[in-house]
Amino acid sequence: MNEQRAFAVRTEDVWKVFEHDGIAVEAVRGVTLEVRPGEFVVMAGPSGSGKTTLLNLLGGLTAPTRGRVWIDGRDLTAMSERQRARLRLERVGFVFQAYNLLPVLTALENAEFSLLLRGVDVDERRRRVEELFERIGIGGLEDRRPGKLSGGQQQRVAVARAVVGQPALVLADEPTANLDSATSMALLDVMTKLNHELGTTFVFATHDPRLMERAQRLIRLVDGAIESDEHRGQPKA
Amino acid sequence: MMRRLALQLRLAVRNVRRQTRRSILTASAMVLGVAVLVFSRALGDGAHEDWITQGVRLGKGHIAIQHPHFQQSRHLDDRLTPAARALAEAALARPKIAEQVVSVAPRLEIQGLANSATGAVPVFIDGVDPTVEAGFSRLSNRVVEGRYLEQDDRLTAFVGQELAERLDLHVGGRLVLTGQDAAGEIAGQYVRVVGIFHTGLPEADQSIIHIPLATAQQWLGVGDAVTTLAVLLQSGWVVDETEHRLEEALAGHEDQVAVLGWRQSMPELDAAIRVDDWGDYVFHVILFLIVGLAIVNTVLMSVLYRTREFGVLRALGLTGGETAGVVFAEGVLLTVASGVLGMLLGFTVTWVFFRHGLDYSKLISQEFTFSGIVLEPVIIPVFRTVQVLQSLGSILIIGVLASLYPAYRATRIDVAEAMKFEA
Repeated sequence: MNEQRAFAVRTEDVWKVFEHDGIAVEAVRGVTLEVRPGEFVVMAGPSGSGKTTLLNLLGGLTAPTRGRVWIDGRDLTAMSERQRARLRLERVGFVFQAYNLLPVLTALENAEFSLLLRGVDVDERRRRVEELFERIGIGGLEDRRPGKLSGGQQQRVAVARAVVGQPALVLADEPTANLDSATSMALLDVMTKLNHELGTTFVFATHDPRLMERAQRLIRLVDGAIESDEHRGQPKA
Repeated sequence: MMRRLALQLRLAVRNVRRQTRRSILTASAMVLGVAVLVFSRALGDGAHEDWITQGVRLGKGHIAIQHPHFQQSRHLDDRLTPAARALAEAALARPKIAEQVVSVAPRLEIQGLANSATGAVPVFIDGVDPTVEAGFSRLSNRVVEGRYLEQDDRLTAFVGQELAERLDLHVGGRLVLTGQDAAGEIAGQYVRVVGIFHTGLPEADQSIIHIPLATAQQWLGVGDAVTTLAVLLQSGWVVDETEHRLEEALAGHEDQVAVLGWRQSMPELDAAIRVDDWGDYVFHVILFLIVGLAIVNTVLMSVLYRTREFGVLRALGLTGGETAGVVFAEGVLLTVASGVLGMLLGFTVTWVFFRHGLDYSKLISQEFTFSGIVLEPVIIPVFRTVQVLQSLGSILIIGVLASLYPAYRATRIDVAEAMKFEA
């Protein structure tokens, strides 16, 4: 257990096999991976290489067909759905390609969502969100609904929602895919800054070469398996 | 815990408001359904109240107090003794009973023969107190010739129109009533017709004769005794509780006095109302099904449309049960809002347009009678607290049941798959 806690996330020979019309499709094949706290990891690969599925496995959104996954030292595969939900709430942040903010909540309410579920007091929630919003350049937009925000602003709110609870791990699936070049660069700056300043662990799945350039560690996936795992030192700011 | 519940409720409220058009469309169907329900129940209850009033005023009142065997034997031996009558009158004077009592009519009822020069006809002869009976029985309002009995009358009779025709009687005409007296002997009584009535109800018009109570008592040799105390109450809805209170008050004297509700004294009318109630229930079940399907449809569509959103909620740490809670709360909120609005609409429409009654006299050209009553051509709607609570409760139950399936569907969402979902 203590040894496992040295990793933000760890997998051991993880497989994910989907059945489609009676045909087994191996989306992830025997991946063993260790991500240490504070790492800025990019998983790259062509479409269908298993990036998103692996990300879902790392976040406990889907259960592996075989193998084991630990988040912050806790074995996901031995947990009930309720326990996994609790672990996601406390230890994992998600950033999705389509932002996936809740349209009926304001930017502030979206960002404080996990804090609220964790029972953090209202003043503390507001303080932390407002401070984070200032840090990532969306201060003053707290009361706007997602429909009144630009794509870049929405994605920053999504990043704020993912990191505000200081999770062990932030998983981001193609976070720049829907953004223009300038907005993408600005968003990457925000996440790099959070990695530097707060030590937040990021694991990305992406096609975006600009994101790959910034990677501290670049993992290439092909046909559901790790083809290469390159450590490059600190991410570029 | 409370914060998480509050969050679910907040999400539900905002989702209902977010899909304004869809929510309004669904709510409209439900509001209309509930309004029709309120209206039809008010009208149905109004009609039944009228039937009961008609029935009890032509018959033995909401409650009849008699000797325990009289209902079956119809024999003078089974009359209320003066002691039993005093017990009954003392019970009727108790505060919680007295406040519900409008009138108590003492009657001496026998079966006998009415004889005229033309022939003889079997009849029901009721010795009545003219003053009390004039305010109690509908017969006194149905005079077609002459007048109703009066307090000082002695050898007078008030007869049905068809009976008068069969015996060739007019006002001022004479007839002889024969029946078995208290001693078991056949006794005759000469009377003169002072009034003729027409109810439209053949069994009443052919066979009922009212004569003064004192005349009947003297003729039949029963002293001050009567066979029945017919009790008229404020409304048909308090019969059961008043009957129960009277039974409690007369406990220990069951061998001398029995309390009969109108359902026992008029079983045909009771059966007719029950049959009509069942028809109403079927109609209400259909309405409930429509309302329920509207909720299922809206909430389920909303779940399918927002699959990705529910996936996000789950990814962010809401459990399956909590996600279902959001969906469930949406359904219940829609139901409660629509239920309350529908009730208000139903009350308003009923009150504004039908306060003075729904007149269907143009639909039927003749008097409409059944189960021993003549129907009034105007139905006055009746609202009852219990009816309102029942309707509201039923709608809530429907809302809860109809929201369960969509909520269950929300728990079945595969989080990873939901993220791929494009609405």
